[in-house]
Amino acid sequence: MKAMRNLFDALRPRFEEGGAYHRLYPFYESIETIFFGPIERSRGLPHVRDSLDVKRFMALVIVALIPHLCFGIFNAGYQSRLASGLSTGFLPVVWSGAWLVLPMVIVTYVVGFAWEILFAVVRKHEISEGLFVSCMLFPLTLPPGTPLWQVALGISFGIVIGKEVFGGTGRNFLNPALTGRAFLYFAYPVSLSGDQVWTVLSGARETVVDTFTAATPLSVSVSTPASQTVEETLTGVGYSGAKLIGGLYPGSVGGTSTLLCVAGALFLILLGIASYRIILGGVLGVLCTGYFLNLVAGPDSAPFLSLNPFYHLIMGGSAFGIVYMTTDPVSATHMKHVKWVYGFMCGMLTVLIRVFNPAFPEGVGLAILFMNLFNPLLDHIEMQWRMRRRISNV
Amino acid sequence: MISVRTAKGYDLPIQGAPLEVVDKPAPPPTVAVLPEHIPFIRPRLAVKEGDQVAVGDVLFTDKSNPRLQFLSPGGGQVARIQFGPRRVLQAVVIQRDAADEPVRSLAAPLEPEALDRLPRADLVDLLLRGGVWPFLRAFPYRAIADPDVEPPAIYVSLDAREPFQVPPARYLENQREVFTFGLRVLKRLCPVVHVHADADDQAFCEAYKDIITHKVQGRYPTDDSGVLLYRVRQSPDDNQAWFITGQDLLLVARMLQSGQYPTERLFAVAGSGVANPRYVASRMGAPIAHLAGEIQCKAPRFAVGGTLRGFSGDPEGHMGFYETALMVLPEPEAADFLTLFRPGFGKPSHSRTFLSALRRNPLPMTTNVNGGHRACIACGYCAEVCPVDIWPQMTYKSILAEEVEEYLAHGLLDCVECGLCTYVCPSKIELAATLRAAKHAYRKEQG
Repeated sequence: MKAMRNLFDALRPRFEEGGAYHRLYPFYESIETIFFGPIERSRGLPHVRDSLDVKRFMALVIVALIPHLCFGIFNAGYQSRLASGLSTGFLPVVWSGAWLVLPMVIVTYVVGFAWEILFAVVRKHEISEGLFVSCMLFPLTLPPGTPLWQVALGISFGIVIGKEVFGGTGRNFLNPALTGRAFLYFAYPVSLSGDQVWTVLSGARETVVDTFTAATPLSVSVSTPASQTVEETLTGVGYSGAKLIGGLYPGSVGGTSTLLCVAGALFLILLGIASYRIILGGVLGVLCTGYFLNLVAGPDSAPFLSLNPFYHLIMGGSAFGIVYMTTDPVSATHMKHVKWVYGFMCGMLTVLIRVFNPAFPEGVGLAILFMNLFNPLLDHIEMQWRMRRRISNV
Repeated sequence: MISVRTAKGYDLPIQGAPLEVVDKPAPPPTVAVLPEHIPFIRPRLAVKEGDQVAVGDVLFTDKSNPRLQFLSPGGGQVARIQFGPRRVLQAVVIQRDAADEPVRSLAAPLEPEALDRLPRADLVDLLLRGGVWPFLRAFPYRAIADPDVEPPAIYVSLDAREPFQVPPARYLENQREVFTFGLRVLKRLCPVVHVHADADDQAFCEAYKDIITHKVQGRYPTDDSGVLLYRVRQSPDDNQAWFITGQDLLLVARMLQSGQYPTERLFAVAGSGVANPRYVASRMGAPIAHLAGEIQCKAPRFAVGGTLRGFSGDPEGHMGFYETALMVLPEPEAADFLTLFRPGFGKPSHSRTFLSALRRNPLPMTTNVNGGHRACIACGYCAEVCPVDIWPQMTYKSILAEEVEEYLAHGLLDCVECGLCTYVCPSKIELAATLRAAKHAYRKEQG
């Protein structure tokens, strides 16, 4: 600790006013405050301040995401070895998974951090820790084995167009990680959609082994024959309800396990970081819409309409999106009650896109981005309502 | 007695509460008045350094309204007149003549029965001449009340929630008669007088139930008259109400009863920076060092008036005109190592992100801002604590965008300047100071 303190004390003058690297001060500040809490005397009103800062706020979201990353590494390796007909022992699986996933995470962080430093230096402000969360979320939404240049391009688009052009953290109205994800989806559909992209084959294999299903639960659901229910089809290819909740199936790196999402949601709600209104609103939106579709489904309609609404929550990325993406405080609604509306609409649109738009098997990311656009309007409506209830004081 | 409950607000879990003892040290050698901390006045000095003054002599008046007089809280010699940057009049310091302190008689003592016969205008005049009128302040700007208007109501706050103030039971001890007389004076100024007390102090509410009109339940700053006004007002006209604190009302009553300028004050001296947190009976405008006694931290911060709303006092300086609390807090010394990764049993926080949330026990606090400055991330904590339902993050943004109509409609003028929004902000944005500055700018614009 002493040595570290001395190191920072020695480096600090070079980054401060008049130092050779003064322009890089935001970078220095963001690194130093990881190790040492900052010291600054308050100016009064009030004289004391809360111990919570943005760094801890965002670090706790990353803590909630680490299990997803670990599970994502395991799952990517497991699916890859299973599809390639290799042994699925724990260590080889983790090894393969780490080779698939960690380079994506590292590239995301390096590229994202570089953009953020550039903008922080030019705009002369500190680096906001929201970046670290965006950079953790982004690779978790991608299929394992996405080409690294695409990862770099995606996060660049997310950070620059999704956030920085609007003024940086706090002024963006879109979720940066999802903006990058959506960009990749539309720019490079070949590497980000279809049944083949979710599993990476290792070695010299060209096709998956016969016993392996490469299709994701969502694409299985969409292509269910009219004679069967979706549940039967899913169980037929090995996707039982329990498996979907556990998450050991092909999909995006971090989004497959509903169980981890529930744990993460409880953690974040308990700590008061994620809004329970948005999360519960989202869950209600999915369930209500799913149930409504059950009611309107006739004998001739697609079997997807009659799917048990709970399956919409446990398949694909909807749980991950609702817990981690809708609750980004900046791009979510800022007022209290419309958070329910925002969450509900995200859930509703997710199901509607999944069921009625065959071009997009997964709808959660687009649903959230679409609702992000409406949030200023929702906030405006609640603010007007609140202002009308006040006895005016002008 | 009407019960009013407020769900928002926050009680700081801070260490250093005063012990239940009243210390009566020898009277201080100097006393002072600090014009800098009297809201919105433009002082015109009536004395110069070296002048002899008695208790009750005029030290300065207000240029905007010369009827507002500020009297000397001590008898002796004007030792120092201190100016700050841009010639702000900071302090008028009186070296007391300890052996034989001259006291000026300002009026004949007012008998309780004579009060009802006194015309209102004469009563106002008497209060102005007696130097106690400035204790009456007016919403929404908390400026000194205008002697020429009649307010819709007067609120009397028995203030005690901010860490740490003198509880009303302490300063009203043996003063019930005086206080009741003070309330009668207020009733002559305005028929509607609301006296509100903290419902948590049940024994006090029971003992004074004949004079308390509103029992307020909730956390800091529910003891502020502005919060009660926000809860009970019926029409926009109510916003022009006046308020006075309990201790100040005692001074008003004593001035009328004795015909002399009252100078006694009961101070709360607290905080983890003082060796001996306690109540101190001393003089108005007493020196900070005289009250603080032994200091037990290397770099103390003197928050004059309280932890949240007080101003930073000079260690050589004095207490202000209104302030009855002195909070001594340690300035931060060394940075905590790896504090980001610690569970934080000892870290006080309004949020639930530290394990201190499990036990809300008093914890030591320094004046450290505890974080880097960041853009607003819309976490919403400020709106969770705002006692008058302002959405501070939104109002802050509309202030920066200079949308005057919008931030006024948000309720800017209802702001009670409690400082909680700034306290809870994880981005360390100076919300309360920005809102207050906008309020003051708007007042200036109104003329």
